[in-house]
Amino acid sequence: MIGREVALAAAGLVALFVGLSVVVLSLVWLERKFLGRLQGRIGPMRVGPFGLLQPVADAVKLILKEDVVPAWADKGLFWIAPILMFVPSFMVWVTIPFSRDLVIRNLDMGLFYFIAVSVVSVVGLVMAGWSSASKYAILGGLRSAAQLVSYEIPVIMAVLGVVMLAGSMNLLTVVDKQASVPYILVQPLGLAVFLIAGVAEVGRTPFDIYPAESEIVGGPFVEYSGAHWAIFFLAEYINTFVVALLVTLLFLGGWQWPHLPGVWAPVVVLVKTYLVVMVIFWFRATFPRLRIDQLMAFGWQVLIPLSFVNIVLTGIQLYYRWPSWSLSLMSLGIILAMAYWQYRTQTAPAQALARSYSQRAYSQRRGA
Amino acid sequence: MLATLKGLVTTLAWAFRKPVTAQYPKQHLPIQPRYMGFPALLWDDTAGEPFCTGCMVCVRECPTQCMKAEMKDNPLQQEGKSHRRKIIERFEINWNRCILCGICVEVCNFDAIEMSHVHELGGYARAGSRVTLQELLKYGREFQERSGWKPSNPEKNVAGVALAKEKEKRQPAAAASRSEPASSNPSPGKES
Repeated sequence: MIGREVALAAAGLVALFVGLSVVVLSLVWLERKFLGRLQGRIGPMRVGPFGLLQPVADAVKLILKEDVVPAWADKGLFWIAPILMFVPSFMVWVTIPFSRDLVIRNLDMGLFYFIAVSVVSVVGLVMAGWSSASKYAILGGLRSAAQLVSYEIPVIMAVLGVVMLAGSMNLLTVVDKQASVPYILVQPLGLAVFLIAGVAEVGRTPFDIYPAESEIVGGPFVEYSGAHWAIFFLAEYINTFVVALLVTLLFLGGWQWPHLPGVWAPVVVLVKTYLVVMVIFWFRATFPRLRIDQLMAFGWQVLIPLSFVNIVLTGIQLYYRWPSWSLSLMSLGIILAMAYWQYRTQTAPAQALARSYSQRAYSQRRGA
Repeated sequence: MLATLKGLVTTLAWAFRKPVTAQYPKQHLPIQPRYMGFPALLWDDTAGEPFCTGCMVCVRECPTQCMKAEMKDNPLQQEGKSHRRKIIERFEINWNRCILCGICVEVCNFDAIEMSHVHELGGYARAGSRVTLQELLKYGREFQERSGWKPSNPEKNVAGVALAKEKEKRQPAAAASRSEPASSNPSPGKES
């Protein structure tokens, strides 16, 4: 009996690993293609039809490369760091459902487990930065610690809003509660906070200040090469996919789709997730990287207050038993108020300043 | 925030546009008519021979000294089919040395050399870019056909036009005296 359980678990792990590798390869391909199209290019075309084998070629290249260890590196920590980064991104999959039955362990505290486990990857980043014995790496490691800890708060608060609405931390229940109305309509503010903080959490552009190539040439990953760097890479893409998947499950109604039989559940989840991933890639194609002070200011002065406002609004709506559309109206109102405030305090003064400069330059030229 | 949304719309609009990439070896962008590729020799259809007389002015003016030329007496001129007394026998351009400056075209008095549309030198041997007379003429004829090239001084350089003009000039003269043509065509008898 125990032998059978162990065999089943092992088979599940292998299936998960293979599935995740395929997901990462597809993400790499999708990112290069979609980013290319957004920039007027076509992306990889040479390796296989439509460049489909390009990520395979990349992976083979990475694995065949020499794995260099700096002479001054703290060898033990240096080897463990990538694994510490990869293991949490692998472990969160234990509780993530693709349909009502397709889940390894349906934990009652699923969301709590997810948040608790995913935070551990910070340790891997800091460890990689420290053990590389390189200035850039250590700067990157410290930056990652600052960034991930700050943005963990809005992520947790946005998740908490959903938990309040659903009354459960079980991901299956959360999805079931969205059978009629997905939470994107009820809590647009929560979705905005979660998506932005989630993108920051996985360190993708415009929040990629800890691997920032143009400032600290790759941050904690500077000294890594070959297969160890590939593991960081793998973890990064899996994390991106997990954030998109959580957006799908928490806000887009998971496998719920009107008039579709339950057999299609995993397909619906995957399609929604890939769409969210494309939105994340779209951000990358659009926004330049934030400065570190802008990043921290945005996290602490905008996102965290907004996430608290979201929770308070949800609490009021739940306590007075108002209809759910009142929460959507309040959320949208907050977003519009934010836009107006940003316009009044930042955009309008900047525009006025620019106008005064141009007028002064014009009058000076006329005077001369 | 409005600017942020504007930025997002701007990038997304590109996804629905045609990519500007041309997949180079498979797909060639059109070459403009006045593109300056490597120099090639042109072909005079009216006489069935190259324009080049091997006068060496291009060889001497070339800043990288990438050309060699040798001339010979023109057999077609002896037959009366051409007006060129000398014709090119061997010509070689080392395209690896050529800097595409176009000085050879500027100095040529016979409309014989032109910057063709050839621009791809990829090959398996270094000597592959040393181009002989036959190849130069082949590329030159391709260029002539494709670009609708016209000689700048046809009365002097195109055999058909020049011969017709000579005949026109000679006929009133011929009516006056029959002994003249021998002196107008001095070279063949002396050299053989």
